[in-house]
Amino acid sequence: MDWTPPPRRPSAMRREQNLSLVSAVVSGGVITAGLLLLLVARVNPQTASRLRMAAADVAAPLWSAVRAPVDGMSRLFEDVGGYFGAVSRAQALAEQLDLANARLRQSRLEARELAQLKKLLAVREPTRRVIAATRIAAAMSGGAVRSAMLAVGSSSGVARDMPVIGSDGLVGRTTETGRYSSRVLLITDSISRVPVIVERTGQAGLLAGRGEPTLLLVDRVGPDLPLRIGDRIVTSGDGGVFPPGLPVGRVIDAHAAAPVIRPAQPPLGAGFVTIEAAWLPSPTPEPTGPVFDAPVPTEARQRGAPRPRLRPSPRSADPAATVPS
Amino acid sequence: MITSPPPPVRLMSPDERRRWLLSTWRYAVPTLVSAALVLVMLAPLPLPVPAMPQLGLMAVLAWAMLQPALMPPWAAFFIGALADMLLGMPLGLNATLFALATGAMRLIDAGTGERGHGFDWAVAGVMLLAVLLLTGPLMALAGQPVPMAPLLWQLPASLLMWPLVVRFCADVQRRLVASANAMA
Repeated sequence: MDWTPPPRRPSAMRREQNLSLVSAVVSGGVITAGLLLLLVARVNPQTASRLRMAAADVAAPLWSAVRAPVDGMSRLFEDVGGYFGAVSRAQALAEQLDLANARLRQSRLEARELAQLKKLLAVREPTRRVIAATRIAAAMSGGAVRSAMLAVGSSSGVARDMPVIGSDGLVGRTTETGRYSSRVLLITDSISRVPVIVERTGQAGLLAGRGEPTLLLVDRVGPDLPLRIGDRIVTSGDGGVFPPGLPVGRVIDAHAAAPVIRPAQPPLGAGFVTIEAAWLPSPTPEPTGPVFDAPVPTEARQRGAPRPRLRPSPRSADPAATVPS
Repeated sequence: MITSPPPPVRLMSPDERRRWLLSTWRYAVPTLVSAALVLVMLAPLPLPVPAMPQLGLMAVLAWAMLQPALMPPWAAFFIGALADMLLGMPLGLNATLFALATGAMRLIDAGTGERGHGFDWAVAGVMLLAVLLLTGPLMALAGQPVPMAPLLWQLPASLLMWPLVVRFCADVQRRLVASANAMA
């Protein structure tokens, strides 16, 4: 009963088996890590915003540089095309001008009356303020998210939750800003909601994106008059981000349960857009975290410690003492 | 191989070692090409429907077919993470999906032998569809549920673009092989 050792496997074969085992383990680990990242994003959506904006800071200036020659060419073609049919277009424009002048005379009267009434009522209204004008540098035209990138960021004064407006109407609002780039949530994204009113009837509602080129008018309140095809939808100014009266779209299907709206400004064909300050100043949040009443020693302050954050009291009128978070 | 196999490190002369180190960038080419195609997806095209093809995923799949050793699931994970950051999706969505697709591609590679372009196209189509169908549940897992129907616009566009992407990747591979042979 002699014992013979089992034949050793060739070392190359064993190495191959080890390698495939390691790669299987690494693959499984990587997929698990991805799922964990998704769970982290569920708990705190802002987790990766730093990383996202760092990537956008590289990509947005790159795309705006790549776009430049293409834009120049298309503008040249537009200029050449402008010469054809100029006469008929001028006649049509003159007719429109007559009509508009008539309306303008009427509205001047009304504007004066309105100004007088507002003065009587002491209505104070915020004004719209343009922060930056730029082109859409890059955009996402497929997939689960409808967003665009602009090549201006916090270095130009852009902050989050500012309206982005095209030449024909609303495009979206900024959601994240980096130093040289900002991300715009387009009105067609499925989480976008814009407070609007129907211009003809005064009915208020929310304009909801659904990831498609058209939008839905949901949650209508107010006078329940039937909509007509072609009714203009404008922003209502509720919520404080979008200024009131901005054209957003037109009704193209009035009889559905949720009327279908076509955007006045197709977000991806917008070309130049302006970024305006939020219509109403957003309430500054109270400083989060601990409030230090004790003075910070000079040595610590020289080493970069923050200034003491004092509890807001009616007596401390020194604004420099309160460091916003 | 797109690079000549390295000689034993201790036997190399300093000159050889320098040349070998300088030639290792070739290992990163599949990853870099895929990342560049992710950047191309950001083109602001005024498409009437949301039909931008999934160029990044297709590049990852194509390289997993052409050079499986140079497109392991962890490399696909990083390309997917880049796509998440650039496209503004929750971090981890494309990373998971790209890594899964590469792993599945390895299994398919192991199960099938010689095969033609049409078979590869069909496999890629099934992969793209599976990724699109998984996007919805994973977005819901990340806390941002999205409607599924608009996502499916990407499928026909991606299927039409597949031969071009494969051709592009194969062309890059051919050039790399040619330059590696010229160096050796």
